[in-house]
Amino acid sequence: MKKYDTPLIDELEKGPWPSFVTEMKKAAKNNEMANDAVGHLEKCYRTKVGYWKHGGIVGVLGYGGGVIGRYSELGDEFPGVAHFHTVRLNQPSGFFYTSAALKEICDIWDKYGSGLTNVHGSTGDLVLLGTKTDALETIFAEYSSRGWDLGSSGSALRTPSCCVGPGRCEWTNYDTLDLNYALTQEFQDEIHRPMFSYKFKIKMSGCACDCVASIARADMSIIGTWKGHIEVNQDEVKNYAKNGMDINAEIVNMCPTQCISYDGKDLKINNAECSRCMHCISKMTKALKATGERGATICIGSKAPIVVGSLLSWVIVPFIKVEPPYTELKDLIRKIWEWWDDNAKPRERIGEVIEMKGMRSFLEGIGQAPIPQQIKEPRKDPFMFYTEEDMAAFKAKEAEEKKTGKYKF
Amino acid sequence: MEMAELQDKIFAFCEAAKGKKKLKEKDILIGVSTELSLEKDEVKKALREMINVGRLMYSYGGGASSVEIPSEEYLREKGMIK
Amino acid sequence: MALPQRKTDIGPPHYKQFLPPIIQKNYGKWKYHEVLSHGVMVHVGDSGDKLWTVRVASPRLLSTTTIREHCDVAEKFCGGFFRYTTRNNVEFLVSDEKQLEPLKKDLTARGFKMGGIGAAITNVVHTQGWVHCHSACTDASGLVKSMMDELMDYFESKTLPNKLRLAVACCVNMCGAVHCSDIAVVAVHTKVPTIAHENFKNMCELPTVIGSCPTRAISPDPANKSIKINADKCMYCGNCFTVCPPISIKDPERDGVAILVGGKINSLRSNPKFSKLVIPFISNEPPRWPKAVAAIKHIVEVYAANARKHERVGEWIERIGWERFFSLTGIDFTFQCIDDFTFMRDTMRTSSTFKW
Repeated sequence: MKKYDTPLIDELEKGPWPSFVTEMKKAAKNNEMANDAVGHLEKCYRTKVGYWKHGGIVGVLGYGGGVIGRYSELGDEFPGVAHFHTVRLNQPSGFFYTSAALKEICDIWDKYGSGLTNVHGSTGDLVLLGTKTDALETIFAEYSSRGWDLGSSGSALRTPSCCVGPGRCEWTNYDTLDLNYALTQEFQDEIHRPMFSYKFKIKMSGCACDCVASIARADMSIIGTWKGHIEVNQDEVKNYAKNGMDINAEIVNMCPTQCISYDGKDLKINNAECSRCMHCISKMTKALKATGERGATICIGSKAPIVVGSLLSWVIVPFIKVEPPYTELKDLIRKIWEWWDDNAKPRERIGEVIEMKGMRSFLEGIGQAPIPQQIKEPRKDPFMFYTEEDMAAFKAKEAEEKKTGKYKF
Repeated sequence: MEMAELQDKIFAFCEAAKGKKKLKEKDILIGVSTELSLEKDEVKKALREMINVGRLMYSYGGGASSVEIPSEEYLREKGMIK
Repeated sequence: MALPQRKTDIGPPHYKQFLPPIIQKNYGKWKYHEVLSHGVMVHVGDSGDKLWTVRVASPRLLSTTTIREHCDVAEKFCGGFFRYTTRNNVEFLVSDEKQLEPLKKDLTARGFKMGGIGAAITNVVHTQGWVHCHSACTDASGLVKSMMDELMDYFESKTLPNKLRLAVACCVNMCGAVHCSDIAVVAVHTKVPTIAHENFKNMCELPTVIGSCPTRAISPDPANKSIKINADKCMYCGNCFTVCPPISIKDPERDGVAILVGGKINSLRSNPKFSKLVIPFISNEPPRWPKAVAAIKHIVEVYAANARKHERVGEWIERIGWERFFSLTGIDFTFQCIDDFTFMRDTMRTSSTFKW
């Protein structure tokens, strides 16, 4: 095996933080592909440009995603990375593993790939970095026969992902692990066979802490919330105070709706005014607990800057029950896709399409009424559409008012 | 309509677009179902069968996915031709 | 040996088989948790059962050798059960308190770094960079390694006003929600792309390329059977390059990184926020990016010295005002900091009240 001189990236083996260069060299010890990846990266560091070409058309028969073609411009100089494709494995909910399962994944990868991975990729898949085209069908047979399916890529439903939820968190408002599994199974076709205009991501967080960043990284964000009150354990409140918490400064004054009061003894919450931001609960987890009806808020539209600027997801359904078999949620997702499919041009994310076509078209398309919880503030400009139906309804309301002698605004 | 006949129509539809327009799966479903007055699901089923045996394939380029007629190289790699 | 029979559309394995018995037993019935140190937290169930989590850094790019080492550690101390986090940390799940100290000792002996829990800097969300991406204009892993070597204390032991989330994107595609981080590094191009006109016709679709431009800088060039780019409008996003390989935008001397601050994704206290641009350009300086690292460390230190307890970077800046952020950090305010793309209307100051 060729030994590359790598003075630049060797610098990145120094220092306390774990080194990705060390990882690449570990894999390179007995793997030609990983070894060439090391030499290839050193060259990037020397010239300050990358050499990977645009993704090519590779995949497994029948699927339209899960494998991302990657070729180097420098295939002659570094033959081990001439083909260096990515295989995405669909991760289990919550990224839980047993050592036996992961070792099996490693064994197969060592046999057919570079031995390099990302655990995990940005979307959530277990990413296997670097293999050749002729190994793809074999890799798929090896993994799928052992219960591991490919994740997604391209214009498809991307591999759904969720927070740790009921597995290890007291704050979750629904079973994120189970919903994630259920939706992934329900939409296998949409995951593996790209039928959309562009990518569509679903992420599930159990509360407003949003540990999977669903509000920023998912076309559809399913964020847990509740409708009941926050139960206060006053003894634990006293313990927090005793242990040095300045409850007025850290909790009361930081409450965004100013709905908490504390008289030095008891903590009181005006639950009707609480917006359920999770600050007080997360800081006083032993003392405060959400109770009552649980479910989720559905937000739509977030994405990174390409093409016309970043978006954060916004509310479309303020509260939905999230209980197996999740029929209402699945129906909603299908309706959203149908509207998107009817209205999107190629490479348009749903958030951008809603911006183009307007929330009215979208909400009518999915059968949701307009409500103030969807917005930060109403429109500031006077340019708006009035349909014939709108005008008829306004007139009918006024006629009704004339009859009753009572205004209804 | 016979499955084989429908699949030939789908293939012809893709062939006509080759080099001109990248077809999304939806473009084929709408195009062929309108042309033949069929249900989209029926076209979808036929299309999926064609993809499963390598008569058509999912492709990817310019950031988006499409459906295309496979190259000889692809068919050779999948063991479809020698 | 014959190949096993492939299966399609089976989805991932069911998660239940990977949950340790203590989680199976206390599933959905957790009462509270406590952060014991930046490396260890304990969750307590209604049943009284306790589950300790020991969090360990990983470079995200892992060899199978290291994954096997994670497996070995988990087998030794956790019955083989462990998990990874959305920010690429490893979490060892301990149900027997007696195993906790030996586990920590073992991790230290192996050179694994524990930390990142609570009001700390945890692992960095980042993209592929030169390691494996075609559109990278820097190396994300190298930047992360260089940053975290300098910020190690904030991962392992030092406490900040609140958690501080770092992210690195190796181009403006920003896979990985870099746009909502306390401090984000994004690699930028600074030059109008060039076009190999002779290849355009065969490799690109005209409407797609025109549509890919956020600033409408692209128009048809019928003479060349290609496109032309209006240099007065182009903001070098590189999206045209993504959809059309004959377009070229990489330039080793003009590519660099920008720094954005003040984003967050949770809704605690204040709404989720985008990160905002404060430093428009620092040259790519592999292998250690010293100026970018120094800038990030400086911002972290100014935040640590000035923010109130529980304030995230963005909340602190909103309280003191952006003008104060620039004066406290001494960062030059440049034209690039004023939005002239999509958000200009929302970002100008429409009052005469501000600080000097």
